[in-house]
Amino acid sequence: MKEPERLLESLVTGKISRIGQLEISLSENGFILCHREDVGRIDLQQCQVDDAVEIAKFDDKDRYRPLKTAPTLRRGWKIFANNSEEASRAIDAIYPGRLAVLHTFKGGRLSTTSLRETLNRQSGMYRVAAKISDEQVDALVGNFCRSDGGCLRTILWKRDERKTVPSAKLPPEKFDPAADQMGKGETCIPLLCQEACNLLVAACRDMVKMEGAASSAP
Amino acid sequence: MNPSSSALLIIGHGSTVNPDSSVPTRRHAAEIQNRNLFADVRCAFWKEEPSLRDARFFFADRTIREVFVVPNFISEGYFTQTVIPRELELKGPVTTRANGQTWIYCEPVGNNPIVTKLLLTRAHEIAPGIEPTETALLIVAHGTELNDNSAIAAKREAERIRARGEFASVGNAYMEEPPLIANWDQLTNAPNVIVVPFFIADGLHSYEDIPKLLGIERTGPEIFRENPHQIRGRSLYYAKAIGTDPRFADIIVEQTLNARNLTHAG
Ligand code: SF4
Repeated sequence: MKEPERLLESLVTGKISRIGQLEISLSENGFILCHREDVGRIDLQQCQVDDAVEIAKFDDKDRYRPLKTAPTLRRGWKIFANNSEEASRAIDAIYPGRLAVLHTFKGGRLSTTSLRETLNRQSGMYRVAAKISDEQVDALVGNFCRSDGGCLRTILWKRDERKTVPSAKLPPEKFDPAADQMGKGETCIPLLCQEACNLLVAACRDMVKMEGAASSAP
Repeated sequence: MNPSSSALLIIGHGSTVNPDSSVPTRRHAAEIQNRNLFADVRCAFWKEEPSLRDARFFFADRTIREVFVVPNFISEGYFTQTVIPRELELKGPVTTRANGQTWIYCEPVGNNPIVTKLLLTRAHEIAPGIEPTETALLIVAHGTELNDNSAIAAKREAERIRARGEFASVGNAYMEEPPLIANWDQLTNAPNVIVVPFFIADGLHSYEDIPKLLGIERTGPEIFRENPHQIRGRSLYYAKAIGTDPRFADIIVEQTLNARNLTHAG
């Protein structure tokens, strides 16, 4: 068994069986995964572990989901997994990489990267993103990463090396791995964000570009 | 290769808009995982999740001593030389992590000579039973991407196939620079023309942009099943992106063997 699978098994047997919008329940011969809001429904479509990538790909309106931790996981399905290896594989398809990062975090070895460091590292078309101002970061992150409608991850990174919070517009829970980002106050396995994602970097770039266009307009 | 202590990380570009972009990379990973050649096989992407940065935290098992990193890219270029090493914190062909694990950076799949064979096989597969001496082969690449050597790689492939003397002609064409793929009928003389996109994945380019430039009226994934298209007085055979070929999984494995031979040679 691989490390993240062991972690998952211990969490689920310890009754921590929610991760993001997923509910994981123990059944007689394995695990059942479904959308948290579909728990108890009897009309769910029976799916395989290998279907998980497709389930995560499109939302309920069949729109592509470029950010897998956006709160737009589609509903109406359930996956049966025979063992923790299969359950981890399904979770990894729905929330890619999150179990590995959580495992590193639990082991006290997770390094985080500040937004400024991430932006300063960029090259090519993304280099200009570093020009974003602190005020713009505050507004952008406050909107882009917010749990209601943006992203369900718990932010662990800071804005800069002065350890400023990424956005004063986000509630303290957004930075608390113990908080339920779905706002239901339930015990959850957190989806950790140890470094700004590529989508946020692209959004920083767009903001800088937009301002450039606005200030050079007649 | 030691199946119990080696892991494989396949790197793809991915996309925030094209749901098909990462499909071949994931398929190759699943295929290789089934062969039990590695203790673990994972993917990471520049524009999808898991990210290249996330991948630094994979392969936590102490039993995994070496990680082979294979870029599923059609050529050497900006991504293989700048972005991937930077994001994965690779210091060169071999990087030793703080925990003693060795990360071996392999060459991109496009560098492997098997690609030439796959181009040939694909050409024969989509146009079965037609006479190669009455057939022109066009390898189409994008052409203007930033720092991208895919055009150079596509040229190299065309040269290799031309040298075999099988086809009436073998040429390159591009979407946005001359020789333009839109002029395919002027670039060739043979009655049959085979067009193979030199891309790692299907997407808007192969489903819509290139078909439009070729003059195929219908677009979408079905066009690959409608060969030959009778256009401009020729029989036109249009293939899927070369990187969708399942045999790319073999190339990925080969790249790890090649890197191992290099890094253990001296
Ligand atoms: S930066 Fe992190 S929290 Fe913000 S949208 Fe990206 S993944 Fe979510």
